Amino acid sequence: MAKKRERLEVIRDILKVIQNSRSIKPTRLLYASNLSPQMFKDYVDELLNKKFVKSEENEGKKTFSLTKKGQDFLMEYKVIENFVDNFGL
Amino acid sequence: MDSLTFLVENREIIKLFYGLLIGLICFVIVSRVDKLFRLSLHQGIRYFRNAFVFYGIAFIVRYVFGYLIYFSYISWDYFNAVTLIFKYFLIMAGFFLLYSLIWKKIENQKENYRSSLLNPRIVIFYAMSFLIIFLDYFWKTHHFIFISQIILFTITSGISLSNFVRGKKSHKFLKFYFIIMILSLMAWILNSIAALFEWNPIIIMTVSGINVITFLLFLYGVFGATRLR
Repeated sequence: MAKKRERLEVIRDILKVIQNSRSIKPTRLLYASNLSPQMFKDYVDELLNKKFVKSEENEGKKTFSLTKKGQDFLMEYKVIENFVDNFGL
Repeated sequence: MDSLTFLVENREIIKLFYGLLIGLICFVIVSRVDKLFRLSLHQGIRYFRNAFVFYGIAFIVRYVFGYLIYFSYISWDYFNAVTLIFKYFLIMAGFFLLYSLIWKKIENQKENYRSSLLNPRIVIFYAMSFLIIFLDYFWKTHHFIFISQIILFTITSGISLSNFVRGKKSHKFLKFYFIIMILSLMAWILNSIAALFEWNPIIIMTVSGINVITFLLFLYGVFGATRLR
């Protein structure tokens, strides 16, 4: 059985999907993130709150794209993950 | 003059350097960890950073102001206040360290507090710290801080042992983390024994030595875990 993804891994995966698509609709992101709708909403709300992701509306269609902060997070992900795992945080 | 006599005769200046050294280690840890927190906004990193902010303040206040009071640059009237501040920040630092290990089991994602210094969970720690120093002050003793820290480091030792057993192959510092918790526990037990023997200088120096080792190990861990940068 596949191991349950850690919170940080889920965040990394969502951000990577957004980064690869540059701009993505919520429904496509939900499918790609492999989360339940409620979990997906919680994570997206958190990412918006932390300003890792920004939400834009074009002709009534909502899309998500990565902010500079989100890009920095992805670049330093290994360091953050290493730190959190080594200190049991 | 043997080395023990030298240490006892120069203890105030040695204590000042000891406080400054631990303050400096805490400052380096905080600045390094704060960068990681700003990048990740990870609550565990945040509480871990706060622990060292509080340890740093505690040691600087106790040993710098202690030095100034001892040599009468500041009135002795402030000694009690310095001791209370030292104890308060030391207890809070211990709580932050413990909370950095257990926050995931307590907080849910929706809570996501803006402040890690003033939120409903942390206020409980402020109140408990206040109660501990109040009881010590009221009974003119150090028993309550010793008991609280011995309990706290017994719990953190248990948690870090469990973390080590689960992740020992991939994360090498978990072993050191467990060792640090055991050393801290030993330091607090020795500290309480020293209090029973009128602050025996040999025990106190041993405790100080253990403290320096634990903070250096934390520094080593922080550098090691962030060197991928």
